Amino acid sequence: MPPIVQYVFNGVVTGGILALPAVAFSLLWRLLRFPNFAVSTYLTVGAYVGLMLNHDAHAPIQLAWLGALVATGAVALAVDRIAFRPMRARRPFSLAIASIGVAFVLENVVRFVWGNDFRSYDVPVMRATSIAGLRVGRDQLLILGAAVVMMAAAQMFLLRTRLGIAMRATADNALLAAVKGVPTERVIAYATLGGGALAGGAGVFLGLDASIDPLMGGGLIISVFAAAILGGVGSAPGALAGALIVGVMEEVGTLLIPPTYKTAIGFTVILAVLLVRPTGLAGARA
Amino acid sequence: MIAYLTAIATLVGVRALLTLGLNVQWGLTGLVNLGAVAFFAVGAYTSALLAVGGTPLLLAWPAGVGVAAAAAAALAMVALRLREDYLAIVTLGFGEVLRLFLLNEAWLTGGANGVTAIPRPMHARFSAHYDVFYLLVVLAAVALVYVVLERLRRSPFGRVLRAIREDETVAAVAGKPVFRFKVQAFALGSAVAGLAGILFAHYLAYIEPNMFLPQESLFVWLALILGGSGNNRGALVGSIVLLGLLEGSRFAKDVIPFLTGVRLAAAQQMLVGVVLVVLMIRRPEGLLPEKPGSD
Repeated sequence: MPPIVQYVFNGVVTGGILALPAVAFSLLWRLLRFPNFAVSTYLTVGAYVGLMLNHDAHAPIQLAWLGALVATGAVALAVDRIAFRPMRARRPFSLAIASIGVAFVLENVVRFVWGNDFRSYDVPVMRATSIAGLRVGRDQLLILGAAVVMMAAAQMFLLRTRLGIAMRATADNALLAAVKGVPTERVIAYATLGGGALAGGAGVFLGLDASIDPLMGGGLIISVFAAAILGGVGSAPGALAGALIVGVMEEVGTLLIPPTYKTAIGFTVILAVLLVRPTGLAGARA
Repeated sequence: MIAYLTAIATLVGVRALLTLGLNVQWGLTGLVNLGAVAFFAVGAYTSALLAVGGTPLLLAWPAGVGVAAAAAAALAMVALRLREDYLAIVTLGFGEVLRLFLLNEAWLTGGANGVTAIPRPMHARFSAHYDVFYLLVVLAAVALVYVVLERLRRSPFGRVLRAIREDETVAAVAGKPVFRFKVQAFALGSAVAGLAGILFAHYLAYIEPNMFLPQESLFVWLALILGGSGNNRGALVGSIVLLGLLEGSRFAKDVIPFLTGVRLAAAQQMLVGVVLVVLMIRRPEGLLPEKPGSD
């Protein structure tokens, strides 16, 4: 088997993790009209909540994951209430700047409490199994499976439930939706909660797949952004596809360029999309 | 004590230039630049590497400004094609990628070791009171940039920029080539950031990639919002207050016992983030608000 297959597989796992914050980021951007740079930092928050539950309170990792989901959703909601809500009427860019400030605060709260060291969860180390020459970790499969389920649930929610439809209506035209009786603030609250939960859950996955440190989430912002604009802002399936493409490119790219330049790949994707197809692959209007 | 104050004042001057540069971009034109530190680094490295290679400073300094402006113009032309939101991520990404480049391409940049023995202008002549001399150079640069930008702000060019900030559709309908003005404003602001980098590099005589971390860009934002964006006087005041905040919080270590190095840095950065967010919410006009319709 050519080694590239292994890189592609690893890239799919990375992309699966990336897809969760990318979808949250993309939908919240469309809904609230500003790129929320704190979304990728929610991964860090989730990962450390998971660490607290799993490592300090000895909870099994599944329970820790659930806790991270809930806690990060709550943090995202609190951030929205405290920082973004008073600024709703402001220029979108002001909110983008505030979101950078928020990300900075969250990251440093984590650093203050846990320090800069790399940490990991207390989980039994599993030997990777080999399937037709492909090295597959059990964690990788679990992560991929859980990410698929989360993505499917998010998509079902958006397409089939009243709240999901209200969310899409508000994202499309907030004023029209409000006139039609959609409670804008409640829609925003649920979307923020859901987006935070997706990102927080992804944080635990990332901690399992790689390691936990204060920069783990914030360092992904360029990849998350690349995935979202590749898929077209506001499109959940688009963000998923974008995340898979970015994930695979970042892993396969390490065959061609030194791994230290991984971030440069996401950046290149962004520049390429802007130059070639500024509306994203699916052509959704931003 | 005098030496300390001279050093602090020099760094305030460098920060003031960065803030003035961001003020052209965000304060006047409404462009989000999250990578101010990147153009600071471009200026610093370009000039430092040229000077170490033997280029006279009279050529190396303008080259640093020029390369910073050119890099900014190129990025802005790509990023501003569709949506302004993209400028934010492109500038942030540029800062990150540039830092990776500075770290990894040791053949050019010295890598993690940085660039050393950067020549200091007229060092032989003023060696006795060199720091004071250099402070005067920096203050002269700040004064010059301030006067130029202040004139520019009141000029027809500056009025167009402010019109674009308020409503670019109206500006476009009035026949202004909005895209071109934005690219020019972005390049101009980054040229000032490049100048700040040059003064910084030739002051320390040594630069390395970790001096150009992304949080530095956030510090510039804080200084600008603190002082009052849109107004050059505010940019100066904001830089002074910011440095007071950063330097002052350093002494917190002596008062609060359990603050270790990492915790102190984290607490300091938390403070910067919180102040930025609170200001954005509570007092977006800053300490010295831009006077409406002043000219």
